[in-house]
Amino acid sequence: MKKNIQTSFISLTVLGFLFFSCEKTIYPNLENAQPILVVNAWLNNKPEKQSIQLTVTQPYFDASTPTGVSGASVTVMDDFDSVFTFVEDGTNSGTYQWTPASGKSFGAVGRKYSLTVTVNGEIFTSSAEMKRTTSIDSITFSIIPTFVYPENTYIADFWANDPKGTGDTYWIKAYKNGVFLNKPSEINVAYDASTSSGADVDDVTFVPPIREWINPVDKDPNNSNQNLPPYVSGDSVYVEIHSISLAAFQHLQQIVEETDRPGGFGQLFAKPINNVSTNVFNTNPGGSKVVGFFNVSAVKGLGKKFDK
Amino acid sequence: MTRPLLVACIASVFLSFAASAQSKHTLSGYIKDAKDGEVLIGATVLIKELNAGATANVYGFYSITIPSGSYTILYSFIGYEKIERTVSLAGDQRIDIELKESTRELKEVIVSSEKDPLTKVQNTEMSVAELDIKTIKKIPAFLGEVDIIRAIQSLPGISTVGEGASGYNSRGGNVGQNLILLDEAPVYNSSHMLGFFSVFNPDAVLDVKLHKGAIPAQYGGRLSSILDVRMKEGNNKKFETTGGIGTIFSRLAFEGPILKNKGSFIVAARRSYIDILARPFVKALKDGGALNFYDLTAKANYNFSTRDRIYLSGYFGRDNFLFSKDQGFSWGNQTATMRWNHLFNQKLFSNITGVYSEYSYKLEFGNDDANKFKWNSAIHNYILKPNLTYFINSNNELSFGGEGIYYYFIPANTIGTTNGIQRDVSLAKKYNLETSLYVNNIQRLSSVVSLDYGIRFSQFRSFGPDTVYHYNDTVPGIRRTVKSFTAHKSGQASTPFGSWQPRFSAKVQLSEVSSIKASYNRMVQYLHLISNTTASNPLDIWTPTSQNILPEIGDQYTLGYFRTLGKEHEWEASVESYWRATQNQIDYINGADLLVNKFLEGDLLSGKGRAYGLEFYLHKKTGRLNGWISYTLAKTELQVNGINNNNWYPTRYDQRHNLKVAAFYEINKRWSCSANFVFMSGTPATFPTSRYTDGGYVVPYNANDSRGNVRLPSYHRLDISVRLEGKPSTSKIVRKNHDYWIFSIYNVYARQNPFSIYFSQGDQRVPPGQQAQTQAKQVSIIGSLVPSVSYNFNF
Repeated sequence: MKKNIQTSFISLTVLGFLFFSCEKTIYPNLENAQPILVVNAWLNNKPEKQSIQLTVTQPYFDASTPTGVSGASVTVMDDFDSVFTFVEDGTNSGTYQWTPASGKSFGAVGRKYSLTVTVNGEIFTSSAEMKRTTSIDSITFSIIPTFVYPENTYIADFWANDPKGTGDTYWIKAYKNGVFLNKPSEINVAYDASTSSGADVDDVTFVPPIREWINPVDKDPNNSNQNLPPYVSGDSVYVEIHSISLAAFQHLQQIVEETDRPGGFGQLFAKPINNVSTNVFNTNPGGSKVVGFFNVSAVKGLGKKFDK
Repeated sequence: MTRPLLVACIASVFLSFAASAQSKHTLSGYIKDAKDGEVLIGATVLIKELNAGATANVYGFYSITIPSGSYTILYSFIGYEKIERTVSLAGDQRIDIELKESTRELKEVIVSSEKDPLTKVQNTEMSVAELDIKTIKKIPAFLGEVDIIRAIQSLPGISTVGEGASGYNSRGGNVGQNLILLDEAPVYNSSHMLGFFSVFNPDAVLDVKLHKGAIPAQYGGRLSSILDVRMKEGNNKKFETTGGIGTIFSRLAFEGPILKNKGSFIVAARRSYIDILARPFVKALKDGGALNFYDLTAKANYNFSTRDRIYLSGYFGRDNFLFSKDQGFSWGNQTATMRWNHLFNQKLFSNITGVYSEYSYKLEFGNDDANKFKWNSAIHNYILKPNLTYFINSNNELSFGGEGIYYYFIPANTIGTTNGIQRDVSLAKKYNLETSLYVNNIQRLSSVVSLDYGIRFSQFRSFGPDTVYHYNDTVPGIRRTVKSFTAHKSGQASTPFGSWQPRFSAKVQLSEVSSIKASYNRMVQYLHLISNTTASNPLDIWTPTSQNILPEIGDQYTLGYFRTLGKEHEWEASVESYWRATQNQIDYINGADLLVNKFLEGDLLSGKGRAYGLEFYLHKKTGRLNGWISYTLAKTELQVNGINNNNWYPTRYDQRHNLKVAAFYEINKRWSCSANFVFMSGTPATFPTSRYTDGGYVVPYNANDSRGNVRLPSYHRLDISVRLEGKPSTSKIVRKNHDYWIFSIYNVYARQNPFSIYFSQGDQRVPPGQQAQTQAKQVSIIGSLVPSVSYNFNF
């Protein structure tokens, strides 16, 4: 709620000053830095192959495919001592996989998992619990008058209830025509039914900004003040609710803060940049640094085709 | 200064008082402008024979006690004709004086060769910046809108993070460490339209004084500075209408006498009018939307007797940004001040001030009644402030009094309705009381040495009902979690925080034209502005001191050299250095959630700060060409565990060099022009070194985990303006009204000054399987020249 309030707050005030402010792309020299290990381990209980990527950091302006870390040992163990060994996929890309038996999936709600990654003799560990998720009752399309869209634009809402009991945290992922909405501004996380951990909005339907944050945000190339209609007749939308740990909720909030930087006039209200926290640690505190995240989600989803 | 030393000082005052019990009499009165009866704050009274003097206080009152005898008394104020009176003083005498503005003929630049007895060189005050409204109106302004906050930014030691940022930074302090007073009422948000315009209507302002160091004991509550804005009292001679049509605002002020010589009033209003012009073209505005800001300032005073005068003043301002009838934001300040000046006798002047002040904002969103979000927040203040000034003799001026401030905070009243079900997620209200007592004496030890010393004692406590959370220890970079909590019953007071705040300054007169001054003061701040963004925004909240956020404490030391130059002392020059060490400075944990968060205190970090600098100031006060040059060399840093590897790091507004030049030139009777040049070295920025992919997103990474590791390019800008006076009266046509045009250009050479540089992956959607392109962008808030014109009138 707060994020989009600030966004619209800024976009409003921009109106008057748009023609004064300006923005240009620059190419500053950045400090050189040693690459460090990146552990990208977001697992879920969908009945499909689970992957963990091990790569290294690269210079900020380098947009090439990250270099994989090969030859590591990657295992996940649950609190019943079952071990899941992730095997490198053979392309030396640093992708390690675990494939469930047909019709089965990874993990169970309530179980705790620990990750162990061994690279060049150094051991990195992390832990996470698979928390409960909630199911989506329906997805609707309705016309909502707002200056952000052209008139008579349909907006999608998903309808789901946060179960009773505070402290449920979710990552809601949306797909338009099978393509994941992957912009930083489209990251949609919830603490119970709302956006903030400091406000108890529990045991109700998700609040409107979360409900509506499944609409793609694409600027109209012909009108920079407006967005394209998110869904038109014939489009499909698929929504997944991933349960995440509290640490993952805060981690994703930080990713939003560090990656969805307000441009132009919005820079007035930019926060200082900080490194995003990690829950992966080197067992030797004086050893190599590591970044990345380990989380295990339970997922429930629902899709709908928009037919006007 | 230790307490025994203070006691000794106070004792010496009374001793000198007792010793001087010979035949002495008091000369006192008010000094005002002959044209409209406005008080002349800081006008001076010189007893020529004794070379002793006094200064008119903020109510225009002066008092001086001298042995009986015959004296020549000179009343003066810069820009006004002096008045000389011969007085034979055989008893207490009251002389009210009205000075006339000097009407300068071209070529004949009048500056009296008389020496003003109490210029900046000769009084004990230091680290003070004063601007009268006439000068402020001459500085070329952004979009032609005269702006007090921007004007004070042209003085040494004062800076800003850039255009659009509200408030100002004084000697390395943050925006929330300034106490901005409008007729003694605190103003919590000094800006309209975010930070582009200040809330003070220039038509209603009389005088602006900024204390950035050596702050007298009567002021407290903020670490960095006190900006004391005094409103005009209104013309007590005749009715007058002032107004103007600018690019942003239209202004109208009406003032006049209430019963002849008994009192006067002023009502001044401003409103932005872009929305009225745009209404036919913008559908949202026709449907009940709004985009406007306005303020109303009013003041009245009345003399009940020669000894009693009551002042009432008020301010009401609001910014409205509504994109439909019931969706949008609004915010604003409201203040009301009542003052009672009472003269117990010729030597004892008292004033009691009662203030109500409020800052609030409101947001409302929702598609329909079943899905709505309402949010409002406010800070209310009730202040009572008695102050007495005892003009003991020509060598001692003793002030003492107290201040009680009751705060009532509404951090967030938030009600969300989702799918028809309402959830009240409001935060608990907070109730606090700040009480202070102070005593201050200005003492002239000899013709060479003068002292200004005092002490302020303050206490701050909270009242229930409230819940105090106890947090686990700070792990750098991780938000703190709640360990336990204690609930307090309604009315239950907490253990107060208390502090002694010594204030001391001294002047050594080296010659008639030069002096050295030094000062030490301790300031304590119990309210904290919670703002983690580059510029403070209207949604930022103020939060009180508690067990988890300790009072901010600042100790400042200053040393300065002051002198006047030129045959006629038309130049005023000073060099001042300062050092300030602060404790309990606030910074924020990564990912801190500052709005509507009942565990806010767990997201705050606390550390220490240091700021130091050297300020040079050269001011030519009179002549056809006048103006000033101000240069500041400064540094301001913080050290907070959990940020920048626990090392010192520069604040976001740290500027090494800051040069300002303001020049005013009178071409002829109708044309005059002014120019304003600014150079500031770049403020710090944090650049990433690397990137990596996490959860599908490209995340920037700073391998050294540093803060402020890079400097932005420097900032410079030139503004000019030309003023054209309306046709003067001729023998044929007598014009009753007076009018003038101002044409100005802001940012003349259209420099794209960088406000910030940010890093992101851009707006484009990254196709599956591809890597995001990361880029750096430089933002200029004002990237072009901005011309403007305004028409102003007065009749």
